[in-house]
Order: sequence, then C-alpha cells, then structure tokens
Amino acid sequence: MNADVLIEIFDPPMCCPGGLCGPVIDPALLDLHEAVLKLKTDHGIVVQRYLLQQQGAKFMQNPNVLALLKEHSTGVLPVTTVNGRVVKTREFPTYEELLRYAQQPVASNAK
Amino acid sequence: MEATSKQTRYLFFSGKGGVGKTTMACATAVHFAGQGIRTLIVTTDPASNLADVFEMEIGHRIRPLGLPNLWGMEIDPDKATEEYRERILAPMRAVMPAEVMKVMEEQFRSPCTTEIASFDRFVDFMTEESTDGGGAYDVVIFDTAPTGHTIRLLQLPVDWSKHIEESAKGGGNTCIGPVAAIQENKKKYDEAIRLLGDAARTDFVFVLQPEETSLYETKRSSKELATIGVKNVSLIVNGILPEQVCEHPFFKSRYDMQQGYLGRIAREFPIPTRRMLQRDGEIKGMAGLLHIANDLFSGNGNAPSFRLAPEMESARIGTAKAGDGRTDSNVFETLDSGSLIELFKPVHGKSKAVFFTGKGGVGKTTMACAAAYAAAARGLKTLLLTTDPASHIGQVLNQHVDDTIQSVEGVENLWAVMIDQEKAVLEYKARIIEEAKKKYSQDMLAAVREELESPCTEEMAAFDKFMWYVEQETYDVVIFDTAPTGHTLRLLELPFDYSDQIGLMVTTNASSAGAKSEVQKRFDHIIALMKDPERSVFVFVVYPESTPVVEAYRAMLDLRDAGIGTQLVIANQVLSREYCTNSYFKKRRAMQEKYLAEIKRRFGLPMAIMPLLETEIIGIDMVRRAALSLFGLEREPIKVS
Repeated sequence: MNADVLIEIFDPPMCCPGGLCGPVIDPALLDLHEAVLKLKTDHGIVVQRYLLQQQGAKFMQNPNVLALLKEHSTGVLPVTTVNGRVVKTREFPTYEELLRYAQQPVASNAK
Repeated sequence: MEATSKQTRYLFFSGKGGVGKTTMACATAVHFAGQGIRTLIVTTDPASNLADVFEMEIGHRIRPLGLPNLWGMEIDPDKATEEYRERILAPMRAVMPAEVMKVMEEQFRSPCTTEIASFDRFVDFMTEESTDGGGAYDVVIFDTAPTGHTIRLLQLPVDWSKHIEESAKGGGNTCIGPVAAIQENKKKYDEAIRLLGDAARTDFVFVLQPEETSLYETKRSSKELATIGVKNVSLIVNGILPEQVCEHPFFKSRYDMQQGYLGRIAREFPIPTRRMLQRDGEIKGMAGLLHIANDLFSGNGNAPSFRLAPEMESARIGTAKAGDGRTDSNVFETLDSGSLIELFKPVHGKSKAVFFTGKGGVGKTTMACAAAYAAAARGLKTLLLTTDPASHIGQVLNQHVDDTIQSVEGVENLWAVMIDQEKAVLEYKARIIEEAKKKYSQDMLAAVREELESPCTEEMAAFDKFMWYVEQETYDVVIFDTAPTGHTLRLLELPFDYSDQIGLMVTTNASSAGAKSEVQKRFDHIIALMKDPERSVFVFVVYPESTPVVEAYRAMLDLRDAGIGTQLVIANQVLSREYCTNSYFKKRRAMQEKYLAEIKRRFGLPMAIMPLLETEIIGIDMVRRAALSLFGLEREPIKVS
C-alpha cells in the first residue's frame, strides 16, 4: 500500500454526493458510494470527492481537470485523478479500478 | 411589548391565511415607527401583500416605507437564490469556462437550493453582526406565510443544525456543502434557534378570527411552536362583528356564533389577547394602518370603533362612480350560475384533476369540499385530497381524515385523503432503504440513511406522493385542496424544476440512464396532464376584496406563463343583498360589488358566487348547502362517457 496516493473524483453536477435528495436516485452513484466506503473499511484508502458547485475551487486548481472542462464542458465529468493525473473520465471508477489505482499509482504529471 | 432595550427584538405574525396577519403586522410596524423605534418589517410569504398594504413597490431589498424609522423588505425566493448562488459562483467566473458556469447556475435552481436560500436570507435577519441583517434595527417584524409553512421555516434551523452535526460524524457532506465549509452556517442557525427561544427577544403573535377552523389551526400551531421553544405567544382576534349592526336575524346568528368562539378562545388560550372589530370598509394606506394601530395599542378602556373616517373609505355609498361595478342588484349572483359543475366532468372517460387554490383563508377547503360533494352527488366517483400541511378538511367533513383513502360517511361516491408530510417522508425513506438493502453493505445503508436525513428530502417526498395522486386513474375526479397560493405555485412548479434537474443529470452508465429516462418520462407526463384542460381544471377562490383578488390574478398569470389555464373563479362569502339592511352592511356589500365587477373584468372567466351563510360550513349538511348554492344539485347525474 502506498500511503502517498491521492485519489480524487470530480463529480458531475448534482445536489448532494449520493444524489438522494434529487428527483432521481442514480444507481451508479450508490455503487460508487459503496465502493468508496468499502475501500476505506477494507484497505484504509480514502477517496476524495468534490462537488462542482460546492468545491469549485478544486476543479480550478487541477490544471488537467480545468483543461478538460474547457474543452468538453461538464459532459466530461465525472473525472477521476490519481496524484493529480487523470485516469478516467465520463464514468465512475469501479471498486476494482479504485483498488488498482491505490496499489499501483501512476507517476504524477501534474506538478 | 416593550421595544426600548438596545438589543433587537423579533416579532412574528402568523395565523391561518386571510385572517388579517399582514394588516396587523403593518399596523404594529407603523405604531413602533411612530414612537421613534427603528422598525423593519420583513415578509417571508412568497405571495406577500405587503406592497399592496403600503401601496408602493417594495421588493427584495430593504427600503424606507415613507414614514420616519420604518423600513420594509419582501424576501423573494428567486432573488434570494440568485444572491446565494452568486456568493458561491462569483469567485469562479474568471477561471471556469462559460459553459460550465451555465450548468452550475442551472444546478442552483434545484428546488432544494431555493428553500435553503430563502431560509438563509431569513436567518440573516436574526443574526446581529451582519450589516444587511436585523442588527441595525430596534424591532424586526416578520409578516410570515400562512401557519403551516411558517412553522416549517422556523423548524428549518433546528433541522439543518442537526443535519450538519450528524453529517460531521459521518460522511462529512451535506446538501449545502461539506461540513467543514458550513460550520459558519451552523453557528448562524444555532443563534437563530437560541433567539427564537429567548422570551426577552422574540414575541409571536397569532392572528385569528372567531371561527372553528381558525381556532383549530391556532391551537395546532401553538403546540408546534412550543416544541421549537418559542415562549412569548399572544393573540389578536380579528374580524369581530360589532353588536350594534347585527339586528338582522341573519347577522345576529353570525354574531352569536362569533361570541361563542370568543368565549372558547378566552377559555382555551390563557394568554394575552386583543380583539379587533370588523370595519365598515376596507383598511387601506397609511391612514387605515394608523387607525388600526390606534386600536391595537390603545390599552383597555378605549372603546374600539368600527367606523372608518371618511378619508379612509374606498366604498362609501352614494359616492360610487359610474363604471366601478356597484350595481345595487343581484346581477353577479345570476351571471354565471348553472352548469359550472360540468367543468369537473371527465372527458373521454379520463380522470380529471381539479385544483382549488387562492390566498390563504379564502375558503379553498370548504369550496373544495362543496365541489367534491356536488361532483359525487352527480354520480362521479370523487376523491377529495388536501396537500395543505395545515389542512382542516376533517373539520369541514366532520370526520377523521388521514393519509389513507377512506369513504366520506353519508355521501355516496366520495372519498377523502390528506398528504401527511411526515408520513410521506417516512415512507419515502423506507422505500429507498428497502431498495438499498438488497444490494449494499451496512456501512452503505448508514450513509444512505444519513443523507436521507437532509431537509431536502422532505419536499421531494411530499411531491412524490402528490404526483402519485395526479397520476391515478381510479377516480372520475380528484379534487385537490391545495396550500395557499404562493406555496401551491411552488408545488406546481416542482415538476418543471425537477424535470430541468434531470435534464442536467449526467448519466454514467446504462443503469443510471435507465433511472433517468424513467423519471424524466414521469415528470413529462405530469406536466402534460397539468397543461391539458381536458385533464386538469384550476379554480381560484377569492373574497371580493382587494388583496385576494390581486393575489389570485397574479397567480393566474404565473400559471398561464407555465402553460396552465384557469377555468373558474369562486367569489366566497358574498353578502346576500336582501340581508344588508343597515348602512354598515350596505357599505360592505357595495365594496364587494366593486370587486365582483373587477373579478369579472380582470379574469374574464366564469364566476360562481358563494353567499355567506348564517353559520360556518361544518358538517355534511352545511357542505351540502354550500354545494347547492354553488353548483345547484337538482339536475340529472352526469353520465361518464
């Protein structure tokens, strides 16, 4: 386990992280939520999630994410980064993918 | 109340709609200002009449009201949302692409954000330090929305504060932002809760009329207020008929009824109570407010007068101008009588939804009950439903009504039900948890539970239930007794807002795309139903008085903008000409005729007249009489094609 790995998910626009207070309950969001919890309990890995309208600064601070937004607008979300580097767009990562990111971190290029 | 200490005092006016809250709140404000006390009056009612009372534009900013020491503001939910949004978005504008900003702006139009924003603005007035808040005034007077929603507004600080606290222990995220970022808000909400419970700082005035429904609602609300911790509660009983003018047996009967309720109020509410006589004309402008203030603050001993000075009167007999609609005849009673019940008849055998709306307290519930009775009596399978959190349908039908559909005793073809907000929320949560149990871990269930505790869920849950009834095909007619105008419009806007939100939702895989399109279809269906005059009928109930007519007209225009038509106006509590034998009631009848003519002219719709009866409409016999007056019942049953 590499303690220096930083996994971040930049969520698509929604009301709250589970999407539970909106009119649609998105099963994909629930699956992700479950995966994030499981990683924490089973492996102690903490995944950071950001909401666009609440933590917009995070989206602006990562030049890779900002560049993607400039090019594709919000359609590119969700974006997953590992140590700042984009590893997945337009879909949420699965539990297995998240575990892989944590165990074999890719070199950061977002310095 | 004394308003001399340095700390700002807060004074809330609430009560069932139409009891004269705004007039009493404004008169109080005018009185304080006249004493040299810096006074701010704020309305939290989305369908506010503050501007009408002061006869000037007010709007969503603090402005002077034309009297020294007096300021006013109307909290506009849309503008509050915009401000709230800009506070968050402004720092991003320079960096974020325009398209992303647009999506975020849209996102802030979610129904949940709108509620938070209005509420946030309200709480601002109760925090001292903020420059734009209440701290700059000696007294802040809140003219609130009708009771049910006011209680909700006052409970929100408690709910949000709790939600933030709980989330801090769990996932650390709430609907209004990550816990870390909103500790500030929690502090603000806790301060508001503390002030509400501080007897030295907060007073609460219920305005009521001497009648069953008003008394019932006051009782119910004062219990809820006690749970919030509000301690200083007092009453103003408004609309009392002067004994001297009630010599006619019809009005004597109403006078006796009122006196009975005044006795009950004195027995059941051992709290300070002021009484206010009904005037012989309309209370308008500063002169009218001063007249009322004089009465409110005269202390004991001063015999209150029901006569308005000539310069305050807008409906004096003999000064009627040509064309102002005063006919001194029964022309309005005979104009559109007849076949109005046909409006409720299903077209092509499809279920019809009939929405009764209007300013609070104008008799929506009784008119909805009468209409439901009339429809059932004509052989239509009818469901009467209320969405008003402060509903009194059970009072009117004289039987218990709850969230299970049940038949109305003594009336064939008629069923009744109410949407119970709390139960709707419980059901909604249970359903989601049940679904989640099939698939997810205990940790996940805990996280889902935590997120469902958000106050946002409540609105969604009640709306979910409402849609279910709109969609049903079991009844020929479903009659909706809705909450007062502002909140009804909001309820009717929800499918549009939620539909927009779904449009924004990014689908990340097939299962989420499936969920999205299913819900989108449902909202589209609801919107189509509400826009289709063969499936939905909108009825406005008004008193023939200035503010209810103005408010209903605005609401009709709002509905029209949304593509929804209105089919009928009911003028309620019209004084029958034959009973108006003295100058007091002749003046009031003349005032009503002026507004009946205005209703006809402005709405251009069929208008049904509901005469004032000698007693309240309570119990099936009275409901039947009301139905008879409104729709006539002696015709053939309607055949459902």
